[in-house]
Amino acid sequence: LNFVFFIYFAVNTSGFLEGLVRGFKNGLSKEDYRHLTQCDTLEDLKLHLQGTGYGHFLANEPSPLTVSVIDEKLREKLVIEFEYIRNHAYKDLATFLDFIKYSYMIDNIILLITGTLHQRQLSELLPKCHPLGIFDQMETVTIASTTADLYNAILVDSPLAPFFKECISEEDLNEMNIEIIRNTLYKAYLEAFYDWCQQKGGATADVMCEILAFEADRRSIIITINSFGTELTKEDRAKLYPRRGKLYPDGLLELSKADEYEAVKRVSELYAEYKPLFDGTGNNPGDKTLEDKFFEHEVTLNVNSFMQQFQYGVFYSYVKLKEQECRNIIWIAECIAQRHRAKIDSYIPIM
Amino acid sequence: MGSLFRSEEMCLAQLYLQSEAAFACVSELGELGLAQFRDLNPDVNAFQRKFVNEVRRCDDMERKLRFLEKEVKKDNLAIDDTGENPPAPLPREMIDMENKFDKLETEMKSVNSNQEALKKNFLELTELKHILRKTQQFFEQAALYQQDQETHVPQQYDDETPLIASEFSRSFNRFGFVAGVLMRDKISAFERVIWRACRGNVFLRYTEIEAELEDPHTGDKVNKYVFIVFFQGDQLKSRIKKICTGFRATLYPCPETPQERREIALGVMTRIEDLQTVLNQTADHRRMVLSQVALNIRVWLIKVRKIKAIYHTLNLFNKCLIAECWCPVVDIDRIQLALRRGTELSGSSVPSIMQQMQTKENPPTYNQTDKFTSGFQAIIDAFGVSNYREVNPAPFTIITFPFLFAVMFGDMGHGLLMFLFALYLVLKENRYMKHKPEDEIFKMMFDGRYLILLMGLFSIYTGFLYNECFSRSINIFGTSWNVRAMNFTDNDVFLATNPVVTLDPNKPGVFRGYPYFYGIDPIWQSAENKITVQNSYKMKNAVLMGFAQMIFGLSLAFCNRRHFKDKLTLYCELLPQLLFLCALIGYLCMCILYKWSVWTVAQSNTAPSLLIGLIDMYMLTDPKSNNRVPLYTGQYQVQIFLVIVTVLCVPWMFLSKPYILYKRSKQKKGVQHNRLWYTCLDSQSDDDVAILHHENNDANYGKQEPESLLIIMLISQFDMSEVIIYQAIHTIEFCLSCISHTASYLRLWALSLAHSELSEVLWSMVMHTGLATSGTSGAILSFFVFWFFSSLTVSILLVMEGLSAFLHAIRLHWVEFQSKFYKGEGYIFSPFSFTLI
Repeated sequence: LNFVFFIYFAVNTSGFLEGLVRGFKNGLSKEDYRHLTQCDTLEDLKLHLQGTGYGHFLANEPSPLTVSVIDEKLREKLVIEFEYIRNHAYKDLATFLDFIKYSYMIDNIILLITGTLHQRQLSELLPKCHPLGIFDQMETVTIASTTADLYNAILVDSPLAPFFKECISEEDLNEMNIEIIRNTLYKAYLEAFYDWCQQKGGATADVMCEILAFEADRRSIIITINSFGTELTKEDRAKLYPRRGKLYPDGLLELSKADEYEAVKRVSELYAEYKPLFDGTGNNPGDKTLEDKFFEHEVTLNVNSFMQQFQYGVFYSYVKLKEQECRNIIWIAECIAQRHRAKIDSYIPIM
Repeated sequence: MGSLFRSEEMCLAQLYLQSEAAFACVSELGELGLAQFRDLNPDVNAFQRKFVNEVRRCDDMERKLRFLEKEVKKDNLAIDDTGENPPAPLPREMIDMENKFDKLETEMKSVNSNQEALKKNFLELTELKHILRKTQQFFEQAALYQQDQETHVPQQYDDETPLIASEFSRSFNRFGFVAGVLMRDKISAFERVIWRACRGNVFLRYTEIEAELEDPHTGDKVNKYVFIVFFQGDQLKSRIKKICTGFRATLYPCPETPQERREIALGVMTRIEDLQTVLNQTADHRRMVLSQVALNIRVWLIKVRKIKAIYHTLNLFNKCLIAECWCPVVDIDRIQLALRRGTELSGSSVPSIMQQMQTKENPPTYNQTDKFTSGFQAIIDAFGVSNYREVNPAPFTIITFPFLFAVMFGDMGHGLLMFLFALYLVLKENRYMKHKPEDEIFKMMFDGRYLILLMGLFSIYTGFLYNECFSRSINIFGTSWNVRAMNFTDNDVFLATNPVVTLDPNKPGVFRGYPYFYGIDPIWQSAENKITVQNSYKMKNAVLMGFAQMIFGLSLAFCNRRHFKDKLTLYCELLPQLLFLCALIGYLCMCILYKWSVWTVAQSNTAPSLLIGLIDMYMLTDPKSNNRVPLYTGQYQVQIFLVIVTVLCVPWMFLSKPYILYKRSKQKKGVQHNRLWYTCLDSQSDDDVAILHHENNDANYGKQEPESLLIIMLISQFDMSEVIIYQAIHTIEFCLSCISHTASYLRLWALSLAHSELSEVLWSMVMHTGLATSGTSGAILSFFVFWFFSSLTVSILLVMEGLSAFLHAIRLHWVEFQSKFYKGEGYIFSPFSFTLI
């Protein structure tokens, strides 16, 4: 019966796309990274990237190169690949890919609102938005002054509307508020995504729930740590935790009581997966930060998702891994451009 | 010209190039295309090589040229293709080229930005024009309603539209309004947002602009809408303006009174006209610049690519510009000439030196081909590139391949069609060479056109032998059989009751005594037992041909052994193999020929079966003891002898070679210690010479040395079990393959049978029905049936059957023929040549 299902998957849903994604995924090897870190100028970097899967994506750029150009081109490449997949997907896979896009939409909205609050021009903000998260009504968010306004006037038509219901209030938008909106949105988004995957079942659920649960826990922990020394009350904070991770429900309860870093660490160490992440982190030079550790763990999870066939997790992981790879390249490029070689090796390797 | 029989003799040569002359020399070599350079710095990153800056400059030039090319294509100008092949320019010209391209690029860019600005201006004006025109309509409609309201009953407020219209027209002055232009795909979202954000307190009208507008930035055609929003109050105004910017709508000032609008419209019209003339001028200028570019861009691109290729090659050289390359021995003079030319061109006084080197590495395989042989060589190379100096099967394939194909595809008519098709390709060769065919399948056929030509030709020949033309036979020379001699009378009872008669060749006069002049007698066409007779004939033929090809393969192996001076394998492996094959299959072939030539029609009833004979031979039974007629006298004794030879060959093949190897190693063992040191020293001194050649360049050569020593030591360690296993596998494989390969050649018969039967069926089921009907209806039917018949002939018999026969012919060559002698573990010679880029 499994066999029949596989054939069904391959023929009817996304065999072609999965193959494509596995091809796209092939990224830089360890050797490539080593060569990249040896580069003296960005031109060298370009020359070396030509020999990898990135090919001639910088070939039409006049020198001198800047990091922002590289960044833009890398992103453009990812977006083109993703849109290609999205255009060929239908049914469940299309929904799944849209879910991936929503997180970028959330980021874009928050970016725009924050920007308007700081009196930035729209034309200045737009290039900073992630092209994967662009939707029709996005650019009009600047007119809203309260969350209710935002929802009623603009977002009600957008795909983000269902996530927004929880954070409607008549309060004016201010910085604190925006952070809360962002986290509430993310919470709703993660929960919806998680539930969707769960309901989809099969290998997709196995893989995606693992990744999303980690994502949820990471958010809870980071929110807690960042909330120290702000006006956020513990009750409000508890409301922001996505309730789908491994920490739910006991861990989150404990987290909501925490008021220092050590407490968070104590809670997390009760969980086998997160204990190693807290070990050996610190702010001393040479130590890895907790965020880097989280990134590394995320990369491992995503790489593992490629071990399973006939499931949607590969699409998610592909986007995340490519993003990480782009971040790595940008990091190396920045280090080269700013002649700051000491930290060039602290990119997050993708095994 | 080298021969096709073996690949070219290659040598490793070292080139000492003067730094001034290096570029010109490599350029000359690139034009020549006879030297394969080796990478002497495999450990160095791409960006740490010597000429990386030059490569980068070339990249930049290429980028500029690509930009110009894109612009040329955007204007639909034809790029001039004269087929001219300019030589690579000298490095000092590179700066000129760079400047030239740079100037062109900046000029082009400024023209573009000018044009863009103008177009933007133009777009704004056109949009304004449309706004004025469309809003005019809105206002006029409103005015019309107002008049309507005044002329008709004034209290008619129950209908919604007139309400708004009248309201709005009456309170014209109290309302503010904003007019603008928006992309078509955003209009519905815009409407909704504006409705929600203003809580319904606005009135929006929009209409489409019929003419497509041009986006000044991308040059795409876009559709846009004109909209006008009426509202009340300043707060709403700012809010609406924000939404408009959010949707990237362009707003235009629109005066409130009709007079003002008309004035502005007039102004806009004149400005548009002015702008149009300026735009035309810019476009002309741009076209002028681009047509200049279009004339030269191909030559420029070739030049830049050549420079880039040269620097790329120079990057393979070591730091002192010493290069190592493989080149054919016969062409060394030409290479040296090219080097001299290069040195002269660069004006350097010191000549470049070329020196042959001794090497232990395997040279690449280089088979020179022309347009005729390349197709056949490709079939061989698809299996595996031959080892260096190994016998190349390609020249034999030129004949055997089409022949074996034709044996399976024998039909004059089909062969003729195939031949004509290939002839067309060959005659139109020059045209297709120039414009490379896009279609992949057609390209494949085009590349193999000479192959197809020969296949068609041979098919005609075998079809003639089989006496088949679209499955019909032709009686050219007069059949050897005579039905009249059977003495049937007109009212014979036998003839009336029996639809089939037997012609007895033993009756005088029925068979002429000598066979049909050439090929198969056409009388078999109407015989009941045609298939049985042809089967027996074709089967035997297949075995004969298979044996011939296998023996030929073994004799090629003999050539190989002689060439590589491998006497041990020659006597301990090849010779028993040859004997084995001859005793087993060769004897069978001899029997077939003997039976054909000695046994006559008169004895055909008593002729012994060859199959039974073969079984008896290996059962060691005397045919006489079973009351069977012997094929010839003394058959039993000969057969016993052959069986003994066959059996003896097996241990000979299996044991002799390992035994001799073992003996040799034992001899060595006594003096092993000395020997080992000796070999080490030997190799070291050899490598020392190499290092001297390399001067101080290569650390990796030094690195390789301990490894190579280790390998030598390992080789001198003799491993008996491995040799025995290897030999056992080979012996078993050969013995089994003798039988299985012979059986495999029976596919010649099977496919030929299938082909003739299929064409027979096609004739009798399709064409025959048309021809059998008489009268006008028969003529019409024949007409239609013919199309059906011909399309089926082409699609099934020519294409499908042809393909399957082709594949089987390939298999017979790759497996049955080449396994006898061909290693195919070489690597192909890929010289640095400009024609490939």
